[in-house]
Amino acid sequence: MPITINHGLADASNGFLLTTVVLYALAMLSYACDFAFRKERLIAPEPAQVSELVGVGPAGAAAGSAVLSAPDGPGGSGRGSAAGGPDGAALWPTGFWMRTAFALTCAGLATHLVAIVTRGLAEHRVPWGNMYEFIAAISCMAVLVLVAVSIRFRAYYIGLFVLIPVVLALALDVTVVYTPAGSLVPALNSYWIAIHVTAMIVASGLYIVGAVVTAMYLIADRNERRTLAGLPSRTEGLMMHLPGTTVLDRLSYRTILFAFPVWTFGIMAGAIWADHAWGRYWGWDPKETWSFITWVVYAGFLHARATAGWRGRRAAYIQLAGFGCLMFNLIGINLWVTGLHSYAGLSG
Amino acid sequence: MTGTPAGGNRGAGGTASPTVDPRQAELPHEGTAELADGAVSADDAVSADGAGPADGAVFADGARPAEPAPGPGAPRLGLVGWLRWGWRQLTSMRTALVLLFLLAVASVPGSVLPQEGVDPSAVSQYYAAHPALAPILNRLSLFSVFAAPWFAAIYLLLFLSLAGCVLPRTFRLVGAARQQPPRAPRRLARLPMAVSYVSPLPPAEALSSAGRLLGGKRFRLRTGDGWVSAEKGYLREVGNLLFHIALLALLVSVGLGGIFGYKANRLLVAGQSFANTPTALDVFRPGRLVSPSNLQPFSVALQSFSATYVSSGPQLDEPETFNAALRYSAAPNSPTRGFALRVNHPLTVDGVSVYLIGHGYAPEFKVTDGAGNVVFNGAVPFIPVEQAGLTSEGVVKVPDAAPSQLGFAGVFLPTAADQNGRLVSEFPAAQNPRVSLVSYAGNLGLNTGQSQSVYQLDLSGMHRLSVAPRPLAVGQSMTLPNGAGKITFTGYRQWISLAVTYDPGQLPALISGILALAGLILSFMVRRRRVFVRAAAGPDGHTVVEVGGLARSDAAGGFEVEFAELARELRTAQDGITESVSSDNDQSLSIREGE
Amino acid sequence: MSRLSRRAAGGITLAAAVMLAVAGCTGGPIGQNTPQSSGQSFVSGSGTNFYKTGSRPVAPDISGTTLTGQHLSLASYRGSVVILNFWGSWCGPCRAEAPDLEALAAHFQPHGVRFLGIDIRDDPTGADAFEHTFGVTYPSLNDPGDEIALAFRGTVPPAAIPTTLVIDRSGRIAARIVGSVTYNGAKALITPVAAEHPVTTDGAAR
Repeated sequence: MPITINHGLADASNGFLLTTVVLYALAMLSYACDFAFRKERLIAPEPAQVSELVGVGPAGAAAGSAVLSAPDGPGGSGRGSAAGGPDGAALWPTGFWMRTAFALTCAGLATHLVAIVTRGLAEHRVPWGNMYEFIAAISCMAVLVLVAVSIRFRAYYIGLFVLIPVVLALALDVTVVYTPAGSLVPALNSYWIAIHVTAMIVASGLYIVGAVVTAMYLIADRNERRTLAGLPSRTEGLMMHLPGTTVLDRLSYRTILFAFPVWTFGIMAGAIWADHAWGRYWGWDPKETWSFITWVVYAGFLHARATAGWRGRRAAYIQLAGFGCLMFNLIGINLWVTGLHSYAGLSG
Repeated sequence: MTGTPAGGNRGAGGTASPTVDPRQAELPHEGTAELADGAVSADDAVSADGAGPADGAVFADGARPAEPAPGPGAPRLGLVGWLRWGWRQLTSMRTALVLLFLLAVASVPGSVLPQEGVDPSAVSQYYAAHPALAPILNRLSLFSVFAAPWFAAIYLLLFLSLAGCVLPRTFRLVGAARQQPPRAPRRLARLPMAVSYVSPLPPAEALSSAGRLLGGKRFRLRTGDGWVSAEKGYLREVGNLLFHIALLALLVSVGLGGIFGYKANRLLVAGQSFANTPTALDVFRPGRLVSPSNLQPFSVALQSFSATYVSSGPQLDEPETFNAALRYSAAPNSPTRGFALRVNHPLTVDGVSVYLIGHGYAPEFKVTDGAGNVVFNGAVPFIPVEQAGLTSEGVVKVPDAAPSQLGFAGVFLPTAADQNGRLVSEFPAAQNPRVSLVSYAGNLGLNTGQSQSVYQLDLSGMHRLSVAPRPLAVGQSMTLPNGAGKITFTGYRQWISLAVTYDPGQLPALISGILALAGLILSFMVRRRRVFVRAAAGPDGHTVVEVGGLARSDAAGGFEVEFAELARELRTAQDGITESVSSDNDQSLSIREGE
Repeated sequence: MSRLSRRAAGGITLAAAVMLAVAGCTGGPIGQNTPQSSGQSFVSGSGTNFYKTGSRPVAPDISGTTLTGQHLSLASYRGSVVILNFWGSWCGPCRAEAPDLEALAAHFQPHGVRFLGIDIRDDPTGADAFEHTFGVTYPSLNDPGDEIALAFRGTVPPAAIPTTLVIDRSGRIAARIVGSVTYNGAKALITPVAAEHPVTTDGAAR
């Protein structure tokens, strides 16, 4: 019995997604304004001394009411330990533009979620069945991670950089890649789609944020090296609003620590589903192969972090290579290489 | 996180410490040890009074007694020495990195070039399109990358490297689990996290309060004269090793499945049945140790197959549902059961899984030869050549026709329609079935014993008959010229293609995968850390308490927070006890606190 | 690390290496979807096995309906040597060996050797036409569901099409020829079996 698509909800979903793009674009502008108009350094570059955190420095008893000012990451404010200290230590962003930008991001995220949910309701199924829906879902996940990371690690400065690829992807998605709402082919009609594809989407969103932060790390690292060598650096102005390399490096590493087990789980779930559907749990189908390649490269990244001489910049390059494999896996395989995984829903 | 750089012979590429502690000479060196993220090994901070190799072994991953590297003036290595050096290189992290990347790079051609095991017809097309390049690629095994010897060499080396690194560490962990935490270093201020404060309690009580607090947080404790040492986070190494060992187990499971398992294909027309025996299978690929005469003896009969397709909208012609009504029995004398086979819903019988992987149409023909005898009467599976309308092609061979053998190459159109003069199939359901045949007569080439595909006609011994092909409806016939005979399209049935797989390594592989994931999550979540507390009477009579902390594998940060919390709690605990014990001194104490 | 644990680690590593090396030598995955993936629709092979008296497996008691509708069972052939030939009219090598088989049937007729065919994956009309073309005089059982082939599981089963089994006078499988039979080759195989006397149940020759 055919499933009737609720076209009213599908149209609503399209409308919400368009609104999302607009909101993200406005958020991007606000982030940029924050950078342009903010005068003082955004955050202290290095984490604080522990004794100051605990409040038992040489002055000893003076800070008996010691309070931790911030959790790890950029939090440590070098100057004091009272809660709500300098900018980076605060829970919520400060400054009009940053607040606006974050609010717009959250509003965009809300409409984004509504767009996805209404699409799913319109189709009476989990809304990840073709390329249009994948890109919408993955970019939503990336913004979700952005918001979570911003709050958890006080890392509001990454907003602009994460939103750039998100907005680009969504713009392409609603124009060129758009596919009307429809049903799943029988091969995809299984509850495994909620498990396997969801895991891949979650991991991809995390990987995207990790890659963006790594790119920022590389820029900051280059800037630092040039500064140390006394050379002028074009990104000097930008660096005022970003924390140092240690913080960025740690942030990117934490994202990958989250993403890697999810990606591993996604591959396993895919193998179980493939066994159900195609009779074998691993057949070196192009998408399976590239998921494997992505996994191996990110595993290499994690090993590099534990190897002398490979930390820092080299590990960052490895992570970006892994991200490249991920993008090829998501886009290249779906569009150009045919295999059992060709469910892009696009013709040709 | 900064700290005293590690000194000593620390791994290839490690930088030498500018401040080498003279006591380093007494401590065990590390060979090609991998360092976790810049953290300091306790080796440095541990005093030289007897913190032996066993202690260093817990934190110093991969520590081994150093060997003189080959170089001018150094003693020459014998064969054993070179082997050992080679083994050391193989099991180093650097080699693991290189092999991981080789594995990734080696997989790329396997996804870009057509592969024999996945799509042999695409390989043939590649040969046709690149006649000069294809044989070269074939020689390099690039059409079967994942079965190629060089690919196997990469992952075997990688797993050998892994095994050589992980197994000794496992033994070491088991040994270390029974050991106590190390002694507290003399100078806690040298540790990356250090704090000192004044406590009103006497040293012994301060220490025991610290010990109680840390013990309550499930640190493993060791006490000494004036110090308490605590350690936590062994689960990280457990998780790490579990992950890597589970990967090994996964590979072994896959190998076992390949050796003892088999895969087969069978095409079944509605109304037919088959039993799981080599003569009944279209394709049979057994593992090395599979005995073909002892396959699981189940039988499967296809009663009917139905498929529905989307009839309108943007997904026109796409399949909606497939349903194959089967009857099966696990053994010749077992009772027969029914089963509805669908995609994503395989049949499992006697440990073997049967999957529905394809379907199509099998038109039925009756052929009468020139002598008037009915020499053929059955269904012939036709293979779909396009998915939208399921236009299918096939071949009818009639080797026992007289006076000459007959062959027909045909096209079956489930919903035939005329589009601009061309006959196409508009819809995959059989709403208007037509078949169109090109007729041949002569020698099919079967009688010489040559094996032929039932889907291909060898025309070298045949000549085309002069009757023009025209679409036949069900019941219609085509008379062949010169009294060669007549062929009638009597009806059609549907067929399904089944994949039969037996993989005894499947369940072990699944369990290995789950264990690997568990180990991975565990190793990411748990941090290894040590906390030391020293309490001694200070110059002015008050007790000076020093608390120091050290974390391994903390590139993600977070230990500062935990340490700060811990230090604060220790202090509060000690102050709190004081307040409740000597309440009459409250005022003076709080004044002192406030200064 | 103690010597014992180092040895154990080394031993386990070596065992793992061997396992992995064997794992690397297994065959690849199968093709998907339609039978177009493989050009053939039957498993081919060749080879001859001969079993000495005393080590011959017992042939299963198979029975079925012939192409002419008659019911036959292998048990009724006890006392004769039975040449069991698995064939199909669509199978090239079966067609090539058909004249030889018929000639062998004629040659061994007076020696108490009887031929029985098992027709695999064939429609009855086509099988009939085959017998007509080659003038086959011996009967064939129709086995569309592979029950007869399955009955040989665990003994000396047909490994491919065509397969010819030589069953001695006591109902035990004496030889198997996988692939086309040649007149001289089969004759050399059947003659000694035909010359054997049937054994009693206690194994002694009469």
